[in-house]
Amino acid sequence: MSPSPAASAASAPSGLDRLFRSKVFVWIVILIPGLYPAWPLFRQDPTVLADPLKYLLHHFGFVACVLLAAVLALTPLRVLLPKWRPALALNRHRRLIGVSAFFYALIHVGFQFLHEGGWPTFWTDIRKPFLLIGSITFLILLVLAVTSFKFMVRWLGGRKWKNLHRLAYLAAFLAACHQAAARKIFPVQVLWIFVPLALLELGRIIRQNSDRAPAISAPRQG
Amino acid sequence: MRIRTPKGWELRESAVTPESLYRRRDRRDFLKTLGLGAAGALFLRSAARAADGGFPAAVNGAYPGTGLKVTPYELITHYNNFYEFGLDKADPAVNANKGWQPEPWTVEIGGMVRNPGKWDVEDLIKKFGGIEQRVYRHRCVEAWSMVVPWDGFPLSKLVAFADPQPGAKYLKMTSWMDDKLVAGQQADDGLDGRYVEGLRVDEATHELAFIATGIYGKAIPNQNGAPLRLVTPWKYGFKGIKCIGRIEFTDRAPVNTWQKLARDEYGFYANVNPKVDHPRWSQASERVIGGGLFSGRQSTLMFNGYEQQVASLYQGMDLAKNF
Repeated sequence: MSPSPAASAASAPSGLDRLFRSKVFVWIVILIPGLYPAWPLFRQDPTVLADPLKYLLHHFGFVACVLLAAVLALTPLRVLLPKWRPALALNRHRRLIGVSAFFYALIHVGFQFLHEGGWPTFWTDIRKPFLLIGSITFLILLVLAVTSFKFMVRWLGGRKWKNLHRLAYLAAFLAACHQAAARKIFPVQVLWIFVPLALLELGRIIRQNSDRAPAISAPRQG
Repeated sequence: MRIRTPKGWELRESAVTPESLYRRRDRRDFLKTLGLGAAGALFLRSAARAADGGFPAAVNGAYPGTGLKVTPYELITHYNNFYEFGLDKADPAVNANKGWQPEPWTVEIGGMVRNPGKWDVEDLIKKFGGIEQRVYRHRCVEAWSMVVPWDGFPLSKLVAFADPQPGAKYLKMTSWMDDKLVAGQQADDGLDGRYVEGLRVDEATHELAFIATGIYGKAIPNQNGAPLRLVTPWKYGFKGIKCIGRIEFTDRAPVNTWQKLARDEYGFYANVNPKVDHPRWSQASERVIGGGLFSGRQSTLMFNGYEQQVASLYQGMDLAKNF
């Protein structure tokens, strides 16, 4: 697996590159936030013990948002830094990270169900805009997760699949709205999670337009 | 023979937990209750000295809280909404105890009263004949609830002391906040200035309205609103303004902080009402703090269980409009 001389001139393979290529590494990074709640429960943090379900509900929702923003940030990162190998390496794990965002959202919804104490409250509350937005976000992630199998990609065909999976951007937008409404006043963490993604996307759009523009406006020869 | 009609919330003398048992309810019991062993001494934070006058307080037999499961002290003091000291519920217990001392403390009483002035809290407590303990239900607008043994004095005593003029209809209470920001206080608490709450004078003189100076027979910790904190158990918790620095009597309804921040979600009255939902969640039921992972919800009671006592204050009002 020795890189071609041209590629190594662009960017030599580094430790970071190898680390980011590793599936084991990505799995560990993804699993840590899932195991994290064991720590405050173990040390009996009274704030967590006061309402552990609410803590878990918020924690898993938060992790789902972070992973959703992270997986969407990988593409613009690759476009903006085409020669930075770690970005390329991370882009190999987009499906894994995306599906894990769905699983965290699923756990989040499960805790919401428990927190609501079962169907009656769950069902009446889900009609309120804040939770309706969250539910739509979850349904989008569900569709994307179900169609993430290789045979589904083949069955749908590349173009259709790609268009369908553009719904992930809508999901991220809705997730940000849902998260912003989760507290009594605007939680600043929403900005930490979604503003970097928005900036990266903006950068990608500018980059792609400037790449295309000369090709269109260049005078034709002959 | 004197015949006394018991009030609705009163319970038989035999139902009252003996004081000796009640006093033993310390943090070890709390940990046992939760079935989690005896670790975690790290979290025992000694309460900062607030108003020390009057402890230990005699239990007011009319509010014994029998039949209610009193929330453990650690949870009452580590699950706080006190945005001036941070937005997460764990923040105030840390940030409000970074050296800030709510003692000595004065409270200013002004506006339409015959007896305005600035009073030392300890002096006021002495004037009011000391403090008493009452166990009240506490229902947060975020659909969770606690049961808290408060120490303090009835707000009606303070109102009588202030001696409002006939035209005074409302109390406007303003929370203390240091202009120079003491350690732990947040510049960007999202509250847009000092915390303001208000009551109608007839609400403030209702026998349930209470000013807390303690919890569990100890001076009230900073994160719970030392040294003076309003307790109106039939209203959502956000009415319970903390660290009261000024009380003004007026003829106009004050705009309370949460009404100012989101008037479609929070009103002036904030009476606990299971039939009027918050726009983002149901108020029909609530989660009990300390219930653990597998506890369900319990039904929320009209006026948080104090309907018999306070419903007459709101007779003829549309409670869906005046939420």
